Amino acid sequence: MFNQFGATAETLSKASTLVFRIGTDAHLYDDPDDVSIAPLLDSRFDSEKCEALKRLLALIAQGFEVSSFFPQVVKNVASQSLEVKKLVYLYLLHYAQKRPNEALLSINYFQKDLGDPNPLVRAWALRTMAGIRLHVIAPLVLVAAGKCARDPSVYVRKCAANALPKLHDLRLEDNTVGIEEIIGILLNDSSPCVVGAAAAAFSSVCPNNLSLIGRNYKRLCEVLPDVEEWGKIVLIGILLRYVVARHGLVKESIMFSLHGTENSRSEKDCSDTNSALDDNGDSNGLYESELTNAVSRCYIEGPAEYLSRLSFMNKDSSEFNYARFTSGKNNDDVKILLQCTSPLLWSNNSAVVLAAAGVHWIMAPTEDLKRIIKPLLFVLRSSNASKYVVLCNIQVFAKAIPSLFSRYFEDFFICSSDSYQIKALKLDILAYIATDSSISFILKEFQDYIRDPDRRFAADTVAGIGICAQRLPEMANACLEFLLALTRQQLMTGEFGSVDTEADILIQAIMSIKSIIQLDPPSHEKVIIQLVRSLTSIKVPAARAMVVWMVGEYNSLGDLIPRMLATVLKYLAGCFASEEVETKLQICNTAVKVLLGAKGNDLLTIKMVLIYVLELAKCDLNYDVRDRAHFLKKLLSTYLDSQCLEEETNRPGQHKDSSRLLAENLFGKQNKSISHEPIDHRFYLPGSLSQIVLHAAPGYEPLPKPCSLRCDDPEMDENGDPYVTDDEDSASESLDEEIASSYSSQHSNVDSSGTDGSEEAGSASEDDDNSHQLIQFSDERKNGASQSASDFGELLSNRALESWLDDQPGFSKPNTSEHSQVRTSSARISIGDIGGQVRPKSYPLLDPVNGNGLRVDYSFSSEISSISPLFICIEVSFKNCSKETMSDITLVDEESGKGKDSVEQSSFSDESSTIPQSNEPNLVSVEEITSLDPGQTMTRSIQVRFHHHLLPLKLAIYCNGKRHPIKLRPDIGYFVKALPMDVEVFTNKESQLRGMFECVRRCTFTDHIKELDKDKGDNSLVEDKFLVICRSLALKMLSNANLHLVSVDLPVAAKLDDATGLCLRFSSKILSTSAPCLITITVEGRCSEPLEMSVKVNCEETVFGLNLLNRIVNFSVEPSHPHV
Amino acid sequence: MLQCIFLLSDSGEVMLEKQLTGQRVDRSICTWFWEHTVSQGDSPKLQSVIASPTHYLFQVLREGITFLACTQVEMPPLMGIEFLCRVADVLTDYLGSLNEDLIKDNFVIVYELLDEMIDNGFPLTTEPNILREMIAPPNIANKMLSVVTGNSSNVSDILPGATSSCIPWRTTNLKYANNEVYVDLVEEMDAIINRDGVLVKCEIYGEVQVNSHLSGVPDLTLSFANPAVLDDVRFHPCVRFRPWEAHEILSFVPPDGQFKLMSYRVRKLKSSPIYVKPQLTSDAGTCRVSVLVGIRNDPGKTIDSITVQFQLPSCVLSADLNSNYGTVNILANKTCSWTIGKIPKDKAPALSGTLLLETGLECLHVFPTFQVGFRIMGVALSGLKIDKLDLKNLPKPPYKGFRALTRAGEFEVRS
Repeated sequence: MFNQFGATAETLSKASTLVFRIGTDAHLYDDPDDVSIAPLLDSRFDSEKCEALKRLLALIAQGFEVSSFFPQVVKNVASQSLEVKKLVYLYLLHYAQKRPNEALLSINYFQKDLGDPNPLVRAWALRTMAGIRLHVIAPLVLVAAGKCARDPSVYVRKCAANALPKLHDLRLEDNTVGIEEIIGILLNDSSPCVVGAAAAAFSSVCPNNLSLIGRNYKRLCEVLPDVEEWGKIVLIGILLRYVVARHGLVKESIMFSLHGTENSRSEKDCSDTNSALDDNGDSNGLYESELTNAVSRCYIEGPAEYLSRLSFMNKDSSEFNYARFTSGKNNDDVKILLQCTSPLLWSNNSAVVLAAAGVHWIMAPTEDLKRIIKPLLFVLRSSNASKYVVLCNIQVFAKAIPSLFSRYFEDFFICSSDSYQIKALKLDILAYIATDSSISFILKEFQDYIRDPDRRFAADTVAGIGICAQRLPEMANACLEFLLALTRQQLMTGEFGSVDTEADILIQAIMSIKSIIQLDPPSHEKVIIQLVRSLTSIKVPAARAMVVWMVGEYNSLGDLIPRMLATVLKYLAGCFASEEVETKLQICNTAVKVLLGAKGNDLLTIKMVLIYVLELAKCDLNYDVRDRAHFLKKLLSTYLDSQCLEEETNRPGQHKDSSRLLAENLFGKQNKSISHEPIDHRFYLPGSLSQIVLHAAPGYEPLPKPCSLRCDDPEMDENGDPYVTDDEDSASESLDEEIASSYSSQHSNVDSSGTDGSEEAGSASEDDDNSHQLIQFSDERKNGASQSASDFGELLSNRALESWLDDQPGFSKPNTSEHSQVRTSSARISIGDIGGQVRPKSYPLLDPVNGNGLRVDYSFSSEISSISPLFICIEVSFKNCSKETMSDITLVDEESGKGKDSVEQSSFSDESSTIPQSNEPNLVSVEEITSLDPGQTMTRSIQVRFHHHLLPLKLAIYCNGKRHPIKLRPDIGYFVKALPMDVEVFTNKESQLRGMFECVRRCTFTDHIKELDKDKGDNSLVEDKFLVICRSLALKMLSNANLHLVSVDLPVAAKLDDATGLCLRFSSKILSTSAPCLITITVEGRCSEPLEMSVKVNCEETVFGLNLLNRIVNFSVEPSHPHV
Repeated sequence: MLQCIFLLSDSGEVMLEKQLTGQRVDRSICTWFWEHTVSQGDSPKLQSVIASPTHYLFQVLREGITFLACTQVEMPPLMGIEFLCRVADVLTDYLGSLNEDLIKDNFVIVYELLDEMIDNGFPLTTEPNILREMIAPPNIANKMLSVVTGNSSNVSDILPGATSSCIPWRTTNLKYANNEVYVDLVEEMDAIINRDGVLVKCEIYGEVQVNSHLSGVPDLTLSFANPAVLDDVRFHPCVRFRPWEAHEILSFVPPDGQFKLMSYRVRKLKSSPIYVKPQLTSDAGTCRVSVLVGIRNDPGKTIDSITVQFQLPSCVLSADLNSNYGTVNILANKTCSWTIGKIPKDKAPALSGTLLLETGLECLHVFPTFQVGFRIMGVALSGLKIDKLDLKNLPKPPYKGFRALTRAGEFEVRS
């Protein structure tokens, strides 16, 4: 056997193993500080970085603090080598919370990695990003997790599920909805691996949101056997909670029949189940009913609540609602749960076996309960590590229903290799499951155990014999015989083995004997006498005290005991001085009891003995004994005063005085009223940590209240009626819809692969989103189809297109089953003449009121600055609204203008037209307007450099020598420039900008309605509604941002009035970085009503993309400006 | 969920710590744990779940290495324990065996493995074949390469295909020149013989171990001639439940290499192959010991590696033990082991001698339990027989091999 605590052979012969350590990282672990780490971290070579990182890891492993290297390590996150990445992540996760500011530096790289084509890199990036747990980046992580939850790679989705609890740990209120939504998506995943991880996330994020489970309940049950083992453990628990909350407990299960046996008024059902159990178990005591009652109550209420309630009121009066039960035979949900968990009892993983057994324990009909026995017992043999935990659980099961395990008593026979805790548990179980048929074998075993070298265990065995005898009164005599023999033997050997443990065995033996006698004192008179006789040889104080107690307690029992009392008391008085404290106290008590019950001749002797004993006790060294003596003397003064006593005996009819009554009550027949102690065992759910440590561990939750989940069906509530299938179906369906609709408003999507056959058209947008997710070939098909269609579309006039659409009535059925068709076939149209209609929106810069009659407006132009990509071209129009001519109007940069107040304005403008300074916002080529006549308007084109795409630029207008401060607000729509490209390039680019680089928002669009209304009045030309929509949409976009319209796709199969599927694509690139920025707008809804549209922006610069998206959504919602 | 994992050496030194969640666990918990275990006596048979003042601890002890996991919240304790066992299995698999030096020498791999195996306190990837593809096990070639080039990466650049497959235990795209599959029945016999020499309990714990080297994705069916003898079974995740429920047939797509397909139990056996008869008589401060060993029921094959071991009671001062066959050793911790090997044809092995009891003790009243070890090649004592092994989805018929072996499990004889 390997000794844990000694030095091993391996550690001693380190030198000899040196040879094998070549090429390993041994030197790094032994001397991590050997080389200076800092320069290595900055090295150009991956191998050197690796070495440095390994050294750091070695230091962490050895418990050193190396967070000072954090900044240097973070830099290496950009490394291309996966090994370096992995090592950096390991380090980062260890210290990120300590160095939050530096950790933030790495976020950009994670964002980039999230878009990596390698799923391993994406998964690692997400894991690490979520793992550094900073509040600041929580929103980013949430978005990332949402993206990854829809990733094509199973592994990445699994990591997304694992990221959610990390996010939840930050306790950010605003994120909870988002997190739960993602969990909902993942629970619905097609891969069982992901479902398992999602279940784990569910249980740590929102274990009580059981309605989330309700939607997928049947499917979750079905995938349960395929979920990986760790997920199974958690998922089983969740499903159990759901079923309890939804349907309540099962009538045929142990949880119910217990209540049945306790309350006689309960239904007939339970008597059925009882007889069922009788058939297969050869037991006499079927349930330890009170105990099992406690078990089931504890499961539901939690032990703390249950026990506190117990202490306040009578437990029978509790309002345990019998209607909160369902019938396991009729309830499909219960049946399917049991069906899916029963093969798991064969699992190789003991945790899975125990979890499955727990479900059966709570849910299965009692006659099926035997299914869990063998697997549980098998776990005991096959896994040493889990033995203890499984035994703890079996102990509870066996105590509640001893008959369950009684046939398998051999499995609990003790091996010498078992640890003490396991031995003790097995003993306890053996004592509880013993039956008349097995008790002889068990006693035989016990006899062997008493001779075991482990004496603590031997003492426990003796206690176990006592329990056996109490449970099986028929066997009490056999047990008693054995115990007496044991005490005799102990007394013989006890003199030598004066070890404490031997004393323990003796004490246990006497205690067991005492408890057996208590069951039926009259028949055990001889045993008491035997014990009293052996008092001379019993040396252990506790054992002596107990025997003395028995003398007092049973002083009036039978014929023999009263006769020997005087002699015994004399003996005890004789050795009083040499006794231990506890024995002394017992001697005092016993003498009083004997006196109270004594009659006839002995009375005087006994009185003398008592007086003698009390005198001795009064001078005792121990104050307890002295106090006891004083107390007894006072109390018994009437007895002890000899005259009084005689008087009393002469006048038996007289009433006794109060102290005497008190004394009789104190020392009288206590044994008659052994109150049944309430069971204060604490029971926790099977398989829980709390059950092992016997207190509620943080986070422990009892089962949910039965039927607490959506118990809106009145019939079920009142009568406990068997559950109606139709009802359930419709209920779950309505739930489905409810959730689905909430989804579409939250822009998330459900994996449409199998489940949403019944989904309404309202959720079709999800399908659309999904089409991006679909595998490549469907994209290609789309391209191919639309390619030809677009050629076609360009050849035909608008009218022809319209008629062509009309000619395909077969396509236009609003049938949900044809959604796939809708998605893939579309026609491309061109709206080339739109350019002329684009009117950039103009914004006021200066009011005539503020500007002394000068009105200045500006609008962003789509021209591109010739000076630098950082400049934005703006058209500024100056209008003189006053009656006088204005002169010297000029626009200057406020910031730089301040410093150059004295400089002449013309020269200033000259200066500013030279090379722009890098740091300052600049204004280029502002030509001075020398004079502006009343009513005259002049336009100037200026080029401006904004600091930031959101912050306004402060400028000033000088007019007639007067300064007007103004603010020029940037429009992010013009921070991009049109980037012409065709659809192929667009889709290509788009596919590269997935993941983090993609953001979607929805909004409504109403512009087209006005157009359509206008057309209605004008009958002469009926324009195609689709074209109107396309035009107004495109116009809206182009007049608010500098974009290139790539394509307009019309859904071919759409109904005439249904614009769903209309798709517009715009491309652009960011001016400053020339990173492409792609915009896709997808429309849904009816033509004549406000349209739902979803805007998607794919852009490498996430923040820019998000802001642009917001801008687009904002201007789309605004009503259009009047056409000029 | 688990918060932290520590690996402790056999002297209580923390070799590794891996923090798993935001709540750091200080390594002082290990000091507490170590003092706690030492205070429980030097027995390695420890409780697997311990409630410390601050944390709940799960521990698994393998080859002197303590795997310690901490949590502060409710979680299924078996999940923690099973996971630690899995970590120990995987590390043993990677490093060849387990000891302090191996772990220290390969600490980077251990870190990388732990990082893959558990994420945020919840197991992530525990399937050995996926792990092997993600993180290369240290082997001689790798070591040499790293010595020569000074550069080695054990982290794979690509995600193993099995992560997305519906049979995650099998590596994708396997190719073997010689397809072969070996099925071993390995049985352990547990028995308790009480003081009266009665066989109280006798049962078999068996495993079906398969070593498969097969190309592609083969589908195997294994059936037994007498499945009725099986009392209870546990399966590798690859075994399909339905065929077993219906016909007691094992249908599965095997992982690659060695694995435990199934374990089973056969209860209530009537006899054991060998007998061990100990006799202890004590008188006047000495105790005479005699132990006889012999064959009771000849299983038809040779019984070898027979050993008898027992712990001398603490009240024994000295022992003088001899045997007529084999060797007797008394170790420092008062364990006496008698190695017999095969039972010779001509004589019955016997151990005899005297024990000197401590002064004042007349006779012995606690008696040791004798642990017996043996091994029988070629026989499955439970009587379980493999009927046939069918293979589908294979280009050409592979080589099939079957073996059986029985050895003693917890075979105890009380005296």
